[in-house]
Amino acid sequence: MIRAFASGLRVDLLQLIRTPFDMVGMLVWPLVFASIAYLLLGHASGERALFTASLGAAVMIMWGWVILGAGFALDTQREQGTLELVVGAPTPLVVLVSPVMISRAVFGVYGLLLTLLWGRLVFGIPVLIDDWPAFIAAGVGCILAIGTLGLIAASTFVLYRAAFYLGISLQYPVYIACGLILPFSVLPGWLRPISWLLAPTWGFRALREAASAQAPWPDIGMCFGLSVVYIAIAIPCLAVFEHLARDRATLKLA
Amino acid sequence: MNNLRVFFAGGLTSYRALFNWLNPWAFLSILVAYPVFQTMYFVYLGRAADTANDTFFLVGNAFVAAAVAGMFGMGQSIGGERRYQTLPTLLASPASRLALFLGRALPAIVNGFVVAALSYTLAALMIHLHIAAGRLAGIAVALLASCFACAGLGLCIGSLAFRTRSISLFADTLSGVFLIVTGANVPLARLPDGLQVLANYIPLTHGIRAARALAAGGTLHDALGAVGKEALIGAVYFTIGVAMLRYFERSARRAGSLDRF
Repeated sequence: MIRAFASGLRVDLLQLIRTPFDMVGMLVWPLVFASIAYLLLGHASGERALFTASLGAAVMIMWGWVILGAGFALDTQREQGTLELVVGAPTPLVVLVSPVMISRAVFGVYGLLLTLLWGRLVFGIPVLIDDWPAFIAAGVGCILAIGTLGLIAASTFVLYRAAFYLGISLQYPVYIACGLILPFSVLPGWLRPISWLLAPTWGFRALREAASAQAPWPDIGMCFGLSVVYIAIAIPCLAVFEHLARDRATLKLA
Repeated sequence: MNNLRVFFAGGLTSYRALFNWLNPWAFLSILVAYPVFQTMYFVYLGRAADTANDTFFLVGNAFVAAAVAGMFGMGQSIGGERRYQTLPTLLASPASRLALFLGRALPAIVNGFVVAALSYTLAALMIHLHIAAGRLAGIAVALLASCFACAGLGLCIGSLAFRTRSISLFADTLSGVFLIVTGANVPLARLPDGLQVLANYIPLTHGIRAARALAAGGTLHDALGAVGKEALIGAVYFTIGVAMLRYFERSARRAGSLDRF
């Protein structure tokens, strides 16, 4: 199973870096989000606020790519007629699907680096990371938590034949609910408890707190804790939706 | 008469194929939920930055929704032919190329208009924003001009399907860039000088400007200049798109690359 997971991770990462859509999309979208934030907030808001906006943009794209990847990967398998083979293999489905989510979250690191570089070179925003070890740990926690949250979404996508479209529509609701770049003060109060359940909230907080050396470890801990919870939810969900898809014979419907 | 049949029947069939109309989820997901939440996101971001009022972002993002529908819809209606390997069959037919491909523009324009109107209405309801009904007719005229211009750009993008396997790359990149450069989410005055000049020559900029002026209480007569510029930009992009189609079709036939996927 470890070999299947590692091999899946390697193959999906290789596919990502060989696909123009992913390489260019990951170049464009974080820069778009970050630039809008920089231009709206302006230099008067301070370098720290702008740097935090860069982190928010990177987490946004990390979630975006995971949720799009979840839908796209399953849709492609469905279209090419290999989803049945994947589901029929003796290896548990979670081991075969999770590398797609994790690799896409890892790919978000490319988006993070590009955003920081863009901010530095074009907008003159310095890279303000005060606690590097905590920042790296926060990055790993963020990748893991967002990737495993994507796994829960992927479990429903096994059943849903227009998974990619559903993935697209789930991007902005999560950006809003998690307060990415947005302060919670402008959002409806009822969103706050929802944000606590979502990985990007804690991933963004962990990165932000680590960058400013402000007690990031509880947030990093939440990322790892949530990852365990998400996996515990995703495994039975995948089993149930896989069974439903087999039962309704929808695996082959492209 | 046959050209008219190709124009309407071909356009409608191509539009239905875009969403595999077995169920409406694809349409609802990407053309209703996505633009509404995008608008909400930028409304909240605007409130946080205190740069402009809610109407600014509501109008800007409704127009972006129309652009995305126009560019992807129009582009994909040609790109999809290549993906499903029906492009050689289509081009082997004696039907007029203009009727074939411009027929795909009409549903893209109507679709863009409906999507923008839905996005505008739903987002306005969610943020409790009211714009007087009397102003909506003028905004609709500006929106129609923008939908036309975006379908023109979509035709240019779609023509690239003769050369490349995925036109989504271009449509996706442009829809991201449009969030900034057209002034949809950032006041144009805040953009670098070069981008402000570029903004004058791309779809949406003038349409959004006209719609915002109308939403603020301006008259359609005052906004007609901007609406006219938007329609002119659309006509130019359509002309370029048709020329690109002709050129790429010829070169793809020569290279024998039409059904390479």
